[in-house]
Amino acid sequence: MMKFQKTVKTALLGLVASLSFLSINTVAQADTLDTIKKNDVIRIGVFGDKPPFGYVDSQGKNQGFDVEIAKEIANSLLGSPDKIQFVLTEAANRVEYLRSGKVDLILANFTQTPQREEVVDFAHPYQKVQLGIVSPENAQITDIAQLKDKVLLVNKGTTADIFFTRNHPDIKLLKFDQNTETFDALKDGRGVALAHDNALLWAWAKENKGYNVAISNIGPEDKIAPAVQKGDKALLEAVNQEIDRLKKEGTLKVIYDKTLLPIYGDRADELLAN
Amino acid sequence: MNWDYIYQVIPQFYRAALMTLSLSVWGVVLSLIVGLGIALLVTYKIKGFTKLAKGYIELSRNTPLLIQLFFLYYGLPKIGIKLDGFTCGVIALVFLGASYMAESFRAGLQAIPKGQIEAAKALGLNKKQQFIYVVFPQAWAIALPSIGANILFLIKETSVVSAVAVAELMFVTRDVIGMDYKTNEALFLLLMSYLIILLPISLYVRYLENRMRRAKYGV
Repeated sequence: MMKFQKTVKTALLGLVASLSFLSINTVAQADTLDTIKKNDVIRIGVFGDKPPFGYVDSQGKNQGFDVEIAKEIANSLLGSPDKIQFVLTEAANRVEYLRSGKVDLILANFTQTPQREEVVDFAHPYQKVQLGIVSPENAQITDIAQLKDKVLLVNKGTTADIFFTRNHPDIKLLKFDQNTETFDALKDGRGVALAHDNALLWAWAKENKGYNVAISNIGPEDKIAPAVQKGDKALLEAVNQEIDRLKKEGTLKVIYDKTLLPIYGDRADELLAN
Repeated sequence: MNWDYIYQVIPQFYRAALMTLSLSVWGVVLSLIVGLGIALLVTYKIKGFTKLAKGYIELSRNTPLLIQLFFLYYGLPKIGIKLDGFTCGVIALVFLGASYMAESFRAGLQAIPKGQIEAAKALGLNKKQQFIYVVFPQAWAIALPSIGANILFLIKETSVVSAVAVAELMFVTRDVIGMDYKTNEALFLLLMSYLIILLPISLYVRYLENRMRRAKYGV
């Protein structure tokens, strides 16, 4: 009996220790702008597998639409586009990376939603997005009703995941962590279709013959914006000014032409926030 | 800590815990069976099989579970074999677990003193009887602590299976965090769930060990 008590006591002690660790871990560090200037580097969370928005090229360099915007921000804040430490994120851990202070800023195609607004602060948006569904050309999904009781593939923690979980409980979702895994699952026929941001799907379907984005405007039009830690006012203000400048000076369109035009053609009006 | 939220997602965690348990039971039971088989092949030097078994043990112990899972889940469809996530999870757990179990059983079997077998022979027991009544019960007692450790290890390894979309505890935790950003609450439930599953097993294994020791040394 003594042994039993001892084991339980040890386990509880471990539990308490881990819990106190958790609470330390999530204390937000407000006002990161000073730290950024002091360290002369800004840590920005971007995607590593979501071309053309954020991806790693064959030389191991971060590339894409979001990355170019990140460079503009670093240039304005620190005087050089190279003073960025890129941190690769997955959709589901973007918020956590911000909250635990692993990154100062998230520029990973982050759609603004009410749930997310509760836990992070969004800067002014730079892109517009709606949900879409990609499916094989020979078994096209042209209407959400066709998905009833079928398997739909989504990425964990994306707006597609949230939208279908909340609004269509009769559709079976199969969820993965990484974009590459989700798209692989589509190719292996593990689901009848895949739901994600329309822009990403257009880009993917262009690269992968035999697939078609037959639905590209599900749900409300959303905005994509950079996000900072809740209450990080100074950095938020700096990023807002920067986004406004990019829009006013037409730099956003220049970045669009450089990174997105080859894939989307002249869809700047549909994709860029005004 | 938001307790209302915790109550709200407990059913999800309950279903996930059942999934973790079901993966664990399949993984552990099959690993024990396969592992014992392999240990017998290695110990009794069955022609041709010993090398094969040793090769398997090295392969299984020196590759990560995640890679084995990805191979089964994403690799096999390329050659026309499509298994669901659960099946891949069980196969991978057994592939990993059986080699650990085999090593534990082998250690137990090899620790039996020759005198025991000679005594059994002197009593007129045939090979099968020697194994069932003399060798195995003692080997089992010796192997038990490390088998217990393997079982706990395998149950914890089921968390990796979340990578192939099996809705077990780790999967649901990440899902809930991605959906509602209630990280503390989700991690708390994850911790509690594993504790509830693992603590009784851990205690039971210790109880068995003590009983075996008492049987052996009479203390």
